[in-house]
This record gives sequence, C-alpha cells and structure tokens, in this order.
Amino acid sequence: MSGTAGETAAKLFKAIVDGDEELSRGATRKLLEEGLDPRDIITQILVPAMRKVGELYEKGEYFIPELVMSAEAFRASMEILRPHFKESGMPVKAVAVFGTVRGDIHELGKNLAVAVFEAEGFQVVDLGVDVPPEKFAEAVVEHNARIVGMSALMTTTMLEQRNVIEELKRRGLRDKVIVIAGGAPVTEEWVKEIGADVWGRDAFEAVRIVKKMLGVE
Amino acid sequence: MPRPVLTLLSRDEVEEIHSKAISLLESVGIFFEDKEVEKFLLDNGLELKNGRVLFREDAVREALSKAPRKIPLYDRDGNLVSVLGEGKTIFNPGSAAIKILDFGSSEPRNPQLKDLKDLVVLVDALPGFKAQSTALVPSEVPNEVKDAERLYVVLKYSAKPIVTGAFTVENLPLMVDMLRAVREDYRARPFAIFDVCPTPPLNWSRVTSRNLVDLARLGVPAEIISMPGLGGTSPVTVYGAIVQHHAEVLSGITISQLVSPGAPVIYGGSPTQIHPYFGTAVITAPEAVLVTLAYRDIARHFSLPVHGYLGLSDAKAVDYQAGGEAAYTAVLAAVAGFDVASGPGMLEFESVQSLEKLVLDNEVCLMAERVARGFSVDAEALQVIREVVLEKKGNFLAHKHTRAKYREELHLPRVWDVSSRGKEKKPSLLHWAHEEAQRILREHKPPMLDGDRLALLDSVRKRLWERVGQSPPAI
Repeated sequence: MSGTAGETAAKLFKAIVDGDEELSRGATRKLLEEGLDPRDIITQILVPAMRKVGELYEKGEYFIPELVMSAEAFRASMEILRPHFKESGMPVKAVAVFGTVRGDIHELGKNLAVAVFEAEGFQVVDLGVDVPPEKFAEAVVEHNARIVGMSALMTTTMLEQRNVIEELKRRGLRDKVIVIAGGAPVTEEWVKEIGADVWGRDAFEAVRIVKKMLGVE
Repeated sequence: MPRPVLTLLSRDEVEEIHSKAISLLESVGIFFEDKEVEKFLLDNGLELKNGRVLFREDAVREALSKAPRKIPLYDRDGNLVSVLGEGKTIFNPGSAAIKILDFGSSEPRNPQLKDLKDLVVLVDALPGFKAQSTALVPSEVPNEVKDAERLYVVLKYSAKPIVTGAFTVENLPLMVDMLRAVREDYRARPFAIFDVCPTPPLNWSRVTSRNLVDLARLGVPAEIISMPGLGGTSPVTVYGAIVQHHAEVLSGITISQLVSPGAPVIYGGSPTQIHPYFGTAVITAPEAVLVTLAYRDIARHFSLPVHGYLGLSDAKAVDYQAGGEAAYTAVLAAVAGFDVASGPGMLEFESVQSLEKLVLDNEVCLMAERVARGFSVDAEALQVIREVVLEKKGNFLAHKHTRAKYREELHLPRVWDVSSRGKEKKPSLLHWAHEEAQRILREHKPPMLDGDRLALLDSVRKRLWERVGQSPPAI
C-alpha cells in the first residue's frame, strides 16, 4: 500500500490499536472508497492490528479496558466491511458459535472473543447472552459450525457449561466441534472436568489453540 | 461505652447518591427477564420504556417507608439469636462454593454431600459464627435438587440460623416448605435468610426476580445482593459503582414491598473489582470494600438492616494473603456494624471453601468482634493501680481485680500462636488449624434434628428428589 491508501491504512491500524471507534469507521470507509479489497483490509490491517493488541496485552502493557476498546474499534470496522464479503468471496477458516450460557447475562468476555476470532478469519455466529444448551446445539447444526465458545462470569452459571456439552453429546454433535469454555472463574481443570477442549487464559490464547487444532495456522 | 466508629459518608453525601440512584431508576430503569414480574410491576403503576421498567421516586419512597427497620433472627429451635438492624455482626461462612480445598492439597476438588455435612458440623462448633450458610454445592447430586439439598443438610445438623438461596424458581417454595417442616412459625420467628442478586448493570434475571417475589409472598427475609463489578459491570469509579449498587437494591426493595408491604428485606451486596488485567472479580479489593462501607451508611440512613460479603479472601491457598484479606475485611465488618457478614472460609473469588480457613477465620471474627465491642469504663482502675503500686510491688497478677476481670476483658484466641518460642518445633498454624478441625469433627455432637420435625423434613426432601425420579441419598 502506498500514497494516501498507505496513510489511511496506517490510520486504521493505529485506530484499532488505540481503540478509537470513530477513526476506525472513517478510515475503513476511506480505504473502501480508495478501492481496497475488504479481504486485504482484514488480512493486512485489522488482523495485524489485533495481533499487536494481543502482544501488548501479553507484555502487560495493555489491560482489559484497552482490549475491549480495540475490539470495539475492530467491530466498527467489520460492520462496514461485512456487506462487502459476499461480493468478494471472503474465505473463512471455519464457523464459530459463541454465546454466554443460560442464566448469565454478562457479555464483555464473550464480545472480546467474538472480535478476536473474527479478526483471525473465522465466521462468528454470536448467540448473545442467557443461551440455553439447546440453542448452542441448534446453531451448530444450522451453521455447520466447527467451534462452540461458551462464556460464564459467575461460579453458579459456570455449571451450565457442562450442560451445553451434555446437550452436544446427546445430539451426537460433540465430536464434530471444538468446545471452548471461557469466563473469569473458568480454570483449565474445570475445562478438563466437563470435557471441553480449549481453555485459554484469554481470547488470544484460545484462538491460537483452535487454529492449531484445525491446522489453519 | 467507648466503641470504634466507622463512617464513610455524611448525610448530605448519602442523600446525593440516593437522588442520583433515583434519577437512574426514573430515566434508565431496570430490565426484567421475567415478563410476569415485569407485568406485576406495571399493574402496580410503574411504567415501561424501551423494554425497561421505570421506578418512580414516590414508589421507591413508599417502599422504603414500609420495609421493616428491625428483623429478629432466631435459631432453628426458636431461640432469639440477634436483631438485625442493631449493628451486631453475625458472621457466617461464604455460601455456594463449588469447590473445597483439602489440607495439604493445592488443587480444590468437587465437594460431596459429606463435605457439606462436615462443614456444617464444624461451623456449629465454632463460636465466631453465629449463623450457618449453605456453604458448599454438592457435586454428586443432580442440578435440579442442588440448592434445596444443601438446606436439608444444614437444617438437619445445626440449630444456627442460615443464610441460603435458591438456584431455581421451582425449588424456592419447596425450600420454604423445609423451613415450615422444621418450625411452623418460620414467618413469625425467621431463622433463614435467602440471598437474591440483581444482575449488573440494572437487570434482574428470571430466577432471582421470581425468588424475590416468592420470598416477599412467603414472608421470608430476602437479602438483596447487588454485585457491581468495578470496571466490568459497573463504572470503574467507586462513586459510580455505589450509585448503580444503590439503584439496584432500591429496585429490589420496591419489588418486595409491592408484593407484600412490610416483607423483611436486608440491604446487601457483593461488589467486586473486575481486575483490569486478569478479568477476575476481586472481592477484597480496597475499592470493592469502599463500596461496601459506603452502602452500609446508605442502609443505615434508611434504617435498614445491612449485609456485606466480608471476612473472606481471593487467595488460592490458606496463606498470608488469605489471612490478610479475611482479617482486614472482618474487622471492618464488625467495626462498621454490618448485621450480617458472609464470607469466612472462602477463597478464590467466592468459589472455594476450606475447613482449615474456617477454623482460622473463626479466630479472626472473634478478634474483630472484640475490637468492635470496645470497652467499658472501669471505676476501680484508679484504686487498683494505687494498691498494686503501693502494696503489691507493681505485680498486677497478684491483685484480685485481674483475676475477676481478665476473662471478660481479654479475648484469648485458641488456634493462634501467641506463646513464647519453645524448644519444641511447633507445627505450622495451618497444620494446627487442620488438627483442630479434625478434633471438632471427631468430638463435637451437633444438635441433630429428630422426631416429628425430622420426619416432616424428610418427607419434603423426598418430594424434592421425586422431581428427578430418585430416592434421596443417606446423609
């Protein structure tokens, strides 16, 4: 990228890293006007920017508030780009179904995971909050999903994650999907106990593990 | 009698926070997942805007005027234990832990019914805990019966009052049936408090809102536990979290009083700091504690009994951090005059219980209680000093005043190392706490429920287990 497109691309990269939603929207629109392919915007700007954000977090320079603001800036850009995907035949790594489990209406962590997975080229179906096990299972069938991400913030609702896995088993879907269990009280031991596949300290680690499991590094 | 006093907010500050909370309730309102509860509120004159119920100031004011100022709390057998609203702290174990940490282990495990029974027996014997709680969630019983099964164990093995809660809409009336089985006059002489939690920010889930309605209808004390998570589910500032917390609790009080004027409610809370790096909900963070101390002043302003999650720790082991966090929050609870303080025994963001920590927290709670008690004026002091200096060569131990007074004046911990360094190598305090817990479990004979009352309770439990098509296990 050179000239004005290069400048605008740098602006978008910075907007994502700084978590500036408005700047992100403006720069994304400008890049489209300048004729840039939405795929290139994602792969050459958004994904590297989100990776940079992940690196800053892992170094301890960024905390969750910065991550969330960057995710919001990323989401704002994606909203503008999404209508262009069909036209450009955007390839997706796999479909991931995300939701906060039944009885829990917290979505901060889930939203961050959605942004990170989208950034890495997954097609994410966001089921929202208070999602019953049946809805997770139905969404897996409907969207032919390979990944199920379930989030819980409270120790009492964390128990619901087991029910989601049981429901997937009951419908014969368990072996077809990679199951991620996330949320503040969730530990690696809990993930093993309920028979999920992936526990990441954070969304960045989770996406790395999932890509490895799918062989799409 | 001189007593330590801890006040954070002035009257003007309380009124300012209250008016901001009212403004939130009137303009933003509360979202109800349960449409029946929403309809009930609309039928009672509240308005719906953008799918959220707006609470008018006059409706809140009327509810506050009807909520009881004092709630006498009894034990299982009908003896008065305390009057909530008088500021004498009742410490009880933190509730609903999904793990237990064994002595010598660094990995918490899933608790069984037997662990809950042991915990109840231990707490029954520890004088620092004036109440029990349904402290562990037994992993081997089906989800559909977990909440009520916990209550059964506590009612059977201890007479102390109970702090509990339901995980489902269906089981709450059955849990109240358990109370009725144990004592017909459970309403007139309450011995169980149920926690209900709004979901921050400014929402009530189906289960908790229905629980709150049912508790008001059945006349059982409800503890409204707002849970702002600073920086995650509430503003990151202490002030912002207090405003949100107060608005949520006010909505709960209004619901309960609309269902049944005079229904017993306790102003509670469990604020946390959502750690900006780890995303954990840190309950003993100074900012969370400041929110708790502030709402205590707000509750007192409205003459409401008050509860806090204090005397607990976010540590992963029974270590320095665990002791420090439990001790500093327990002392604040007692000195600030919380009526109910839940938390002892707990580790790791309200998810793990430990028998050893309960033994040590018992000591911490007794010390906190002692500090809060203050001291009385000793009219004999001058004369005693004169006599000891002039007649006893400065030896106060040789004066009868010392012997007569020391037991009531001095708090003497049992499992606490205050002896001089001896020749023998002492076990660690944690080891000592473990031995004490084991000794109590061997020797303590809890006041088990028996006769007709146990038969009635067993019949309610049988009904509970019929829901999952099983017979109740022996415990």
